[in-house]
Amino acid sequence: MSLRRQPSEERLLAYAAGTLSAPEAVVVATHLALKPETRPWADLGRAVGGALLDEAEPVPMDVGARDAALALLDTPAANDKPIPPESADLSLPEPLRGLPLGPWRWAGPGVHVRNVIGPRDGDCRVVLLRIAPGQCAPRHTHGGVELTCVISGAYTTEDGVFAQGDFEEADPKVTHQPRVISEEACLCVAALDGQIVLPGRLGRLLAPFVKL
Amino acid sequence: MVMHATQAAHHHPRNRAVTTSRDFDDCVLRIAADRDREAFATLFDHYAPRVKALLMRSGSPAAAAEELAQETLLSVWRKAHLFNPERASSAAWIFTIARNLRIDSLRRGDASVYAADLSLAADEPAQPDAILSGAQDAELVRAAMRTLNPDQARAIEMAFFHEQTHTQISQALGVPLGTVKARIRFGMMKLRAFIERDVGGAA
Repeated sequence: MSLRRQPSEERLLAYAAGTLSAPEAVVVATHLALKPETRPWADLGRAVGGALLDEAEPVPMDVGARDAALALLDTPAANDKPIPPESADLSLPEPLRGLPLGPWRWAGPGVHVRNVIGPRDGDCRVVLLRIAPGQCAPRHTHGGVELTCVISGAYTTEDGVFAQGDFEEADPKVTHQPRVISEEACLCVAALDGQIVLPGRLGRLLAPFVKL
Repeated sequence: MVMHATQAAHHHPRNRAVTTSRDFDDCVLRIAADRDREAFATLFDHYAPRVKALLMRSGSPAAAAEELAQETLLSVWRKAHLFNPERASSAAWIFTIARNLRIDSLRRGDASVYAADLSLAADEPAQPDAILSGAQDAELVRAAMRTLNPDQARAIEMAFFHEQTHTQISQALGVPLGTVKARIRFGMMKLRAFIERDVGGAA
Protein backbone atom coordinates (compact mmCIF):
# COMPACT_ATOMS: atom_id res chain seq x y z
CA MET A 1 0.00 0.00 0.00
CA SER A 2 2.98 2.26 0.37
CA LEU A 3 2.88 4.38 -2.75
CA ARG A 4 5.51 6.77 -1.57
CA ARG A 5 9.00 6.20 -2.78
CA GLN A 6 10.72 7.57 0.31
CA PRO A 7 11.17 6.40 3.91
CA SER A 8 8.54 7.44 6.41
CA GLU A 9 9.16 10.52 8.54
CA GLU A 10 9.64 8.37 11.63
CA ARG A 11 12.26 6.25 9.90
CA LEU A 12 14.05 9.38 8.70
CA LEU A 13 13.97 10.77 12.22
CA ALA A 14 15.46 7.58 13.66
CA TYR A 15 18.13 7.74 10.96
CA ALA A 16 19.00 11.32 11.85
CA ALA A 17 18.94 10.50 15.55
CA GLY A 18 21.35 7.62 15.02
CA THR A 19 18.98 5.08 16.52
CA LEU A 20 18.01 3.27 13.33
CA SER A 21 19.53 -0.19 13.03
CA ALA A 22 22.72 -0.31 10.96
CA PRO A 23 21.25 -2.29 8.02
CA GLU A 24 18.25 0.01 7.75
CA ALA A 25 20.49 3.05 8.01
CA VAL A 26 22.51 1.87 5.00
CA VAL A 27 19.39 1.68 2.82
CA VAL A 28 18.08 5.04 4.06
CA ALA A 29 21.49 6.68 3.55
CA THR A 30 21.62 5.32 0.00
CA HIS A 31 18.18 6.75 -0.70
CA LEU A 32 19.25 10.14 0.71
CA ALA A 33 22.37 10.12 -1.45
CA LEU A 34 20.31 9.48 -4.58
CA LYS A 35 17.23 11.56 -3.75
CA PRO A 36 18.17 15.05 -2.59
CA GLU A 37 14.51 16.01 -2.17
CA THR A 38 14.25 13.73 0.87
CA ARG A 39 17.21 15.34 2.61
CA PRO A 40 15.25 18.15 4.30
CA TRP A 41 13.63 15.53 6.55
CA ALA A 42 17.03 14.26 7.63
CA ASP A 43 18.22 17.86 8.06
CA LEU A 44 15.19 18.46 10.24
CA GLY A 45 16.01 15.43 12.36
CA ARG A 46 19.55 16.64 12.93
CA ALA A 47 18.28 20.13 13.67
CA VAL A 48 16.06 18.61 16.35
CA GLY A 49 19.14 16.79 17.64
CA GLY A 50 20.91 20.14 17.80
CA ALA A 51 18.03 21.64 19.74
CA LEU A 52 18.07 18.74 22.21
CA LEU A 53 21.81 19.26 22.56
CA ASP A 54 21.44 22.98 23.23
CA GLU A 55 18.74 22.38 25.79
CA ALA A 56 20.41 19.46 27.55
CA GLU A 57 21.14 19.97 31.22
CA PRO A 58 24.97 20.10 31.15
CA VAL A 59 26.90 17.35 32.93
CA PRO A 60 30.26 18.83 33.98
CA MET A 61 33.32 17.44 32.29
CA ASP A 62 36.19 16.14 34.41
CA VAL A 63 38.57 18.71 35.82
CA GLY A 64 41.24 19.49 33.26
CA ALA A 65 39.29 18.04 30.33
CA ARG A 66 39.42 21.28 28.41
CA ASP A 67 43.15 21.72 28.88
CA ALA A 68 43.67 18.14 27.83
CA ALA A 69 41.68 18.82 24.67
CA LEU A 70 43.59 22.03 23.96
CA ALA A 71 46.86 20.15 24.32
CA LEU A 72 45.70 17.63 21.72
CA LEU A 73 44.63 20.11 19.07
CA ASP A 74 47.81 19.98 17.08
CA THR A 75 48.07 16.22 17.12
CA PRO A 76 46.99 14.93 13.74
CA ALA A 77 44.03 12.57 13.72
CA ALA A 78 44.95 8.95 13.42
CA ASN A 79 42.40 7.69 10.93
CA ASP A 80 40.54 10.62 9.52
CA LYS A 81 40.45 9.22 6.01
CA PRO A 82 39.96 5.47 6.19
CA ILE A 83 41.14 3.60 3.13
CA PRO A 84 38.28 1.74 1.43
CA PRO A 85 38.61 -2.02 1.70
CA GLU A 86 39.86 -3.86 -1.34
CA SER A 87 36.47 -5.40 -2.07
CA ALA A 88 34.67 -2.04 -1.98
CA ASP A 89 32.97 -0.82 -5.14
CA LEU A 90 33.71 2.86 -5.65
CA SER A 91 31.01 3.19 -8.31
CA LEU A 92 28.30 2.68 -5.69
CA PRO A 93 26.51 5.60 -4.03
CA GLU A 94 28.64 7.23 -1.35
CA PRO A 95 27.21 5.50 1.73
CA LEU A 96 28.09 2.10 0.26
CA ARG A 97 31.50 3.03 -1.09
CA GLY A 98 33.48 2.37 2.08
CA LEU A 99 31.97 -1.02 2.81
CA PRO A 100 33.55 -4.39 2.07
CA LEU A 101 31.51 -6.62 -0.21
CA GLY A 102 31.21 -10.36 -0.53
CA PRO A 103 31.48 -12.08 -3.92
CA TRP A 104 28.58 -12.04 -6.37
CA ARG A 105 26.70 -15.29 -6.20
CA TRP A 106 24.30 -16.74 -8.69
CA ALA A 107 20.89 -16.86 -7.07
CA GLY A 108 18.52 -18.00 -9.76
CA PRO A 109 17.98 -17.19 -13.44
CA GLY A 110 19.16 -13.65 -14.09
CA VAL A 111 19.68 -12.96 -10.42
CA HIS A 112 22.88 -12.30 -8.49
CA VAL A 113 23.36 -11.34 -4.89
CA ARG A 114 26.31 -10.21 -2.79
CA ASN A 115 26.61 -9.41 0.87
CA VAL A 116 27.46 -5.96 2.12
CA ILE A 117 29.74 -6.85 4.99
CA GLY A 118 29.52 -4.98 8.24
CA PRO A 119 26.11 -3.55 9.00
CA ARG A 120 24.22 -6.12 11.02
CA ASP A 121 21.52 -6.11 13.60
CA GLY A 122 20.67 -9.55 14.86
CA ASP A 123 19.45 -11.41 11.81
CA CYS A 124 19.10 -8.25 9.77
CA ARG A 125 21.81 -7.55 7.20
CA VAL A 126 22.40 -5.79 3.92
CA VAL A 127 22.72 -7.26 0.43
CA LEU A 128 23.07 -6.00 -3.09
CA LEU A 129 20.78 -7.57 -5.66
CA ARG A 130 21.36 -7.51 -9.40
CA ILE A 131 18.49 -8.65 -11.54
CA ALA A 132 18.56 -8.98 -15.30
CA PRO A 133 16.26 -7.06 -17.65
CA GLY A 134 12.85 -8.61 -18.11
CA GLN A 135 13.26 -10.85 -15.09
CA CYS A 136 9.98 -11.41 -13.37
CA ALA A 137 9.63 -12.47 -9.78
CA PRO A 138 7.25 -15.33 -9.06
CA ARG A 139 4.56 -14.76 -6.47
CA HIS A 140 5.80 -15.43 -3.02
CA THR A 141 4.89 -14.43 0.48
CA HIS A 142 7.37 -13.14 2.98
CA GLY A 143 7.85 -11.68 6.44
CA GLY A 144 10.15 -9.41 8.40
CA VAL A 145 11.24 -5.90 7.70
CA GLU A 146 12.44 -5.47 4.19
CA LEU A 147 13.73 -2.20 2.89
CA THR A 148 14.91 -1.74 -0.67
CA CYS A 149 16.45 1.15 -2.54
CA VAL A 150 17.04 1.08 -6.28
CA ILE A 151 20.62 2.05 -7.16
CA SER A 152 20.23 1.75 -10.92
CA GLY A 153 17.72 0.37 -13.40
CA ALA A 154 14.05 0.04 -12.60
CA TYR A 155 11.35 -2.44 -11.81
CA THR A 156 7.60 -2.25 -11.91
CA THR A 157 4.87 -3.59 -9.66
CA GLU A 158 1.15 -3.01 -9.24
CA ASP A 159 2.22 0.15 -7.40
CA GLY A 160 4.01 1.48 -10.44
CA VAL A 161 7.61 1.95 -11.38
CA PHE A 162 10.49 1.96 -8.91
CA ALA A 163 13.51 3.70 -10.40
CA GLN A 164 16.85 5.07 -9.22
CA GLY A 165 16.73 6.21 -5.62
CA ASP A 166 13.23 4.94 -4.98
CA PHE A 167 12.73 3.40 -1.57
CA GLU A 168 10.38 0.58 -0.88
CA GLU A 169 9.22 -0.83 2.39
CA ALA A 170 7.72 -4.25 1.76
CA ASP A 171 4.26 -4.76 3.11
CA PRO A 172 4.13 -8.28 4.53
CA LYS A 173 0.42 -8.52 3.80
CA VAL A 174 0.71 -7.99 0.08
CA THR A 175 2.28 -10.07 -2.64
CA HIS A 176 3.32 -8.54 -5.90
CA GLN A 177 4.97 -9.64 -9.05
CA PRO A 178 7.69 -7.14 -9.82
CA ARG A 179 9.49 -7.17 -13.13
CA VAL A 180 12.67 -5.41 -14.20
CA ILE A 181 11.79 -3.01 -16.99
CA SER A 182 15.08 -1.20 -17.52
CA GLU A 183 17.34 -2.09 -20.44
CA GLU A 184 20.18 -2.56 -18.02
CA ALA A 185 20.09 -4.85 -15.01
CA CYS A 186 18.41 -3.49 -11.91
CA LEU A 187 20.76 -3.03 -8.96
CA CYS A 188 19.24 -2.65 -5.51
CA VAL A 189 20.48 -2.43 -1.95
CA ALA A 190 18.27 -4.10 0.61
CA ALA A 191 18.06 -4.67 4.33
CA LEU A 192 16.57 -8.01 5.09
CA ASP A 193 15.53 -9.63 8.29
CA GLY A 194 15.53 -13.31 9.11
CA GLN A 195 17.01 -16.31 7.41
CA ILE A 196 14.46 -17.36 4.91
CA VAL A 197 13.13 -14.52 2.90
CA LEU A 198 14.94 -12.11 0.66
CA PRO A 199 14.00 -8.46 0.60
CA GLY A 200 11.71 -6.56 -1.67
CA ARG A 201 9.37 -7.88 -4.20
CA LEU A 202 12.25 -8.66 -6.47
CA GLY A 203 14.05 -10.65 -3.87
CA ARG A 204 11.17 -12.97 -3.50
CA LEU A 205 12.19 -15.01 -6.46
CA LEU A 206 15.45 -15.77 -4.72
CA ALA A 207 13.92 -17.46 -1.74
CA PRO A 208 13.88 -20.99 -3.19
CA PHE A 209 17.53 -20.70 -4.20
CA VAL A 210 19.38 -18.75 -1.58
CA LYS A 211 20.13 -19.27 2.06
CA LEU A 212 21.54 -16.10 3.51
CA MET B 1 0.77 33.91 12.35
CA VAL B 2 4.20 34.36 10.99
CA MET B 3 7.04 34.97 13.37
CA HIS B 4 10.44 36.00 12.16
CA ALA B 5 13.43 34.23 13.51
CA THR B 6 14.60 37.12 15.61
CA GLN B 7 11.15 37.62 17.08
CA ALA B 8 10.88 33.94 17.85
CA ALA B 9 14.09 34.20 19.80
CA HIS B 10 12.98 37.25 21.70
CA HIS B 11 9.76 35.58 22.67
CA HIS B 12 11.75 33.07 24.63
CA PRO B 13 14.36 35.00 26.53
CA ARG B 14 15.27 32.04 28.70
CA ASN B 15 17.15 30.60 25.75
CA ARG B 16 19.03 33.77 25.08
CA ALA B 17 22.21 33.10 26.96
CA VAL B 18 25.01 35.64 26.91
CA THR B 19 26.32 33.77 23.92
CA THR B 20 23.85 33.17 21.08
CA SER B 21 23.69 30.26 18.66
CA ARG B 22 25.15 32.49 15.98
CA ASP B 23 28.15 33.15 18.18
CA PHE B 24 28.78 29.43 18.38
CA ASP B 25 28.48 29.19 14.60
CA ASP B 26 31.11 31.93 14.41
CA CYS B 27 33.37 29.96 16.72
CA VAL B 28 33.39 27.02 14.31
CA LEU B 29 34.06 29.38 11.41
CA ARG B 30 36.92 31.00 13.30
CA ILE B 31 38.46 27.60 13.93
CA ALA B 32 38.19 26.80 10.22
CA ALA B 33 39.69 30.12 9.18
CA ASP B 34 42.29 30.81 11.86
CA ARG B 35 42.69 27.70 14.02
CA ASP B 36 41.38 29.93 16.78
CA ARG B 37 42.01 28.23 20.13
CA GLU B 38 39.95 30.69 22.07
CA ALA B 39 36.95 29.89 19.89
CA PHE B 40 37.61 26.23 20.58
CA ALA B 41 37.66 26.84 24.32
CA THR B 42 34.31 28.65 24.08
CA LEU B 43 32.78 25.77 22.14
CA PHE B 44 34.25 23.25 24.52
CA ASP B 45 32.81 24.95 27.58
CA HIS B 46 29.35 25.07 26.06
CA TYR B 47 29.09 21.86 24.11
CA ALA B 48 31.29 19.25 25.81
CA PRO B 49 29.10 19.07 28.96
CA ARG B 50 25.97 18.96 26.79
CA VAL B 51 27.29 16.26 24.50
CA LYS B 52 28.20 14.32 27.62
CA ALA B 53 24.68 14.83 28.98
CA LEU B 54 23.04 13.68 25.76
CA LEU B 55 25.22 10.59 25.55
CA MET B 56 24.44 9.69 29.14
CA ARG B 57 20.75 10.05 28.36
CA SER B 58 21.29 7.64 25.50
CA GLY B 59 22.64 5.11 27.94
CA SER B 60 26.41 5.67 27.82
CA PRO B 61 28.19 5.29 31.15
CA ALA B 62 29.66 8.57 32.44
CA ALA B 63 33.26 7.66 31.63
CA ALA B 64 32.42 6.65 28.07
CA ALA B 65 30.28 9.76 27.60
CA GLU B 66 33.14 11.92 28.86
CA GLU B 67 35.53 10.34 26.41
CA LEU B 68 33.14 10.66 23.47
CA ALA B 69 32.38 14.27 24.34
CA GLN B 70 36.10 14.96 24.35
CA GLU B 71 36.48 13.23 21.00
CA THR B 72 33.50 15.12 19.59
CA LEU B 73 35.04 18.47 20.36
CA LEU B 74 38.39 17.38 18.94
CA SER B 75 36.53 16.39 15.76
CA VAL B 76 34.95 19.82 15.66
CA TRP B 77 38.47 21.23 15.52
CA ARG B 78 39.59 18.86 12.79
CA LYS B 79 36.44 19.01 10.69
CA ALA B 80 35.65 22.70 11.08
CA HIS B 81 36.32 23.26 7.37
CA LEU B 82 33.27 21.08 6.61
CA PHE B 83 30.90 23.27 8.60
CA ASN B 84 28.53 25.28 6.43
CA PRO B 85 26.35 27.70 8.41
CA GLU B 86 23.96 27.98 5.47
CA ARG B 87 23.02 24.36 5.91
CA ALA B 88 23.16 23.58 9.62
CA SER B 89 23.51 25.28 12.97
CA SER B 90 26.66 24.53 14.93
CA ALA B 91 24.42 22.68 17.40
CA ALA B 92 23.01 20.36 14.72
CA TRP B 93 26.44 19.90 13.20
CA ILE B 94 28.08 19.06 16.52
CA PHE B 95 25.17 16.76 17.32
CA THR B 96 25.88 14.95 14.04
CA ILE B 97 29.56 14.53 14.90
CA ALA B 98 28.67 13.15 18.32
CA ARG B 99 26.09 10.84 16.78
CA ASN B 100 28.61 9.44 14.29
CA LEU B 101 31.24 8.89 16.97
CA ARG B 102 28.70 7.15 19.16
CA ILE B 103 27.63 4.83 16.35
CA ASP B 104 31.29 4.10 15.72
CA SER B 105 31.96 3.37 19.38
CA LEU B 106 29.03 0.99 19.56
CA ARG B 107 30.38 -0.76 16.47
CA ARG B 108 26.90 -0.65 15.12
CA GLY B 109 27.77 -1.04 11.51
CA ASP B 110 30.10 1.29 9.79
CA ALA B 111 30.18 4.99 10.54
CA SER B 112 31.34 5.70 6.98
CA VAL B 113 27.69 5.24 6.02
CA TYR B 114 26.92 8.45 7.90
CA ALA B 115 30.00 10.36 6.84
CA ALA B 116 28.08 12.01 4.01
CA ASP B 117 25.94 13.84 6.55
CA LEU B 118 28.93 15.94 7.47
CA SER B 119 30.44 16.44 4.04
CA LEU B 120 27.32 16.78 1.90
CA ALA B 121 26.52 19.99 3.67
CA ALA B 122 29.92 21.39 2.86
CA ASP B 123 30.13 21.01 -0.89
CA GLU B 124 27.23 21.15 -3.33
CA PRO B 125 25.37 24.37 -3.80
CA ALA B 126 22.32 22.26 -2.96
CA GLN B 127 19.23 22.25 -5.13
CA PRO B 128 16.52 24.39 -3.54
CA ASP B 129 14.32 21.40 -2.75
CA ALA B 130 17.21 19.55 -1.15
CA ILE B 131 17.64 21.88 1.78
CA LEU B 132 15.45 22.82 4.66
CA SER B 133 15.66 26.59 4.73
CA GLY B 134 15.68 27.70 8.32
CA ALA B 135 17.13 24.49 9.73
CA GLN B 136 20.43 26.32 10.18
CA ASP B 137 18.77 28.72 12.62
CA ALA B 138 18.99 26.97 15.98
CA GLU B 139 16.72 29.44 17.71
CA LEU B 140 14.04 29.03 15.07
CA VAL B 141 14.22 25.24 15.44
CA ARG B 142 13.82 25.52 19.21
CA ALA B 143 10.87 27.85 18.72
CA ALA B 144 9.33 25.31 16.35
CA MET B 145 9.74 22.57 18.93
CA ARG B 146 7.77 24.58 21.43
CA THR B 147 4.77 24.45 19.07
CA LEU B 148 4.58 20.65 19.43
CA ASN B 149 2.04 19.21 21.78
CA PRO B 150 3.60 17.26 24.67
CA ASP B 151 2.76 13.87 23.15
CA GLN B 152 4.42 14.73 19.87
CA ALA B 153 7.46 16.20 21.62
CA ARG B 154 7.83 13.11 23.78
CA ALA B 155 7.54 10.69 20.87
CA ILE B 156 10.13 12.64 18.88
CA GLU B 157 12.48 12.88 21.84
CA MET B 158 12.23 9.16 22.51
CA ALA B 159 13.39 8.46 18.98
CA PHE B 160 16.72 10.00 20.03
CA PHE B 161 17.29 8.27 23.32
CA HIS B 162 16.13 4.77 22.69
CA GLU B 163 18.01 2.23 20.71
CA GLN B 164 14.80 0.43 20.13
CA THR B 165 12.02 -0.21 17.77
CA HIS B 166 8.90 1.86 17.66
CA THR B 167 7.17 -1.18 19.09
CA GLN B 168 9.19 -0.81 22.27
CA ILE B 169 8.58 2.93 22.38
CA SER B 170 4.90 2.21 22.04
CA GLN B 171 5.10 -0.16 25.01
CA ALA B 172 7.03 2.37 27.06
CA LEU B 173 4.47 5.06 26.32
CA GLY B 174 1.53 2.71 26.71
CA VAL B 175 -0.03 3.68 23.39
CA PRO B 176 -0.47 1.70 20.18
CA LEU B 177 2.34 1.58 17.65
CA GLY B 178 0.29 3.42 15.07
CA THR B 179 -0.22 6.25 17.54
CA VAL B 180 3.52 6.60 18.14
CA LYS B 181 4.20 6.72 14.43
CA ALA B 182 1.44 9.24 13.87
CA ARG B 183 2.72 11.47 16.66
CA ILE B 184 6.22 11.44 15.20
CA ARG B 185 4.95 12.00 11.68
CA PHE B 186 2.62 14.86 12.53
CA GLY B 187 5.21 16.36 14.86
CA MET B 188 7.82 16.30 12.10
CA MET B 189 5.41 17.81 9.58
CA LYS B 190 4.50 20.54 12.04
CA LEU B 191 8.15 21.37 12.69
CA ARG B 192 8.93 21.50 9.01
CA ALA B 193 5.93 23.66 8.19
CA PHE B 194 6.78 26.08 11.01
CA ILE B 195 10.42 26.35 10.02
CA GLU B 196 9.72 26.78 6.32
CA ARG B 197 6.89 29.23 6.81
CA ASP B 198 9.02 31.30 9.08
CA VAL B 199 11.69 31.79 6.47
CA GLY B 200 9.07 32.34 3.79
CA GLY B 201 10.25 29.33 1.88
CA ALA B 202 6.93 27.53 1.64
CA ALA B 203 4.97 30.14 -0.30
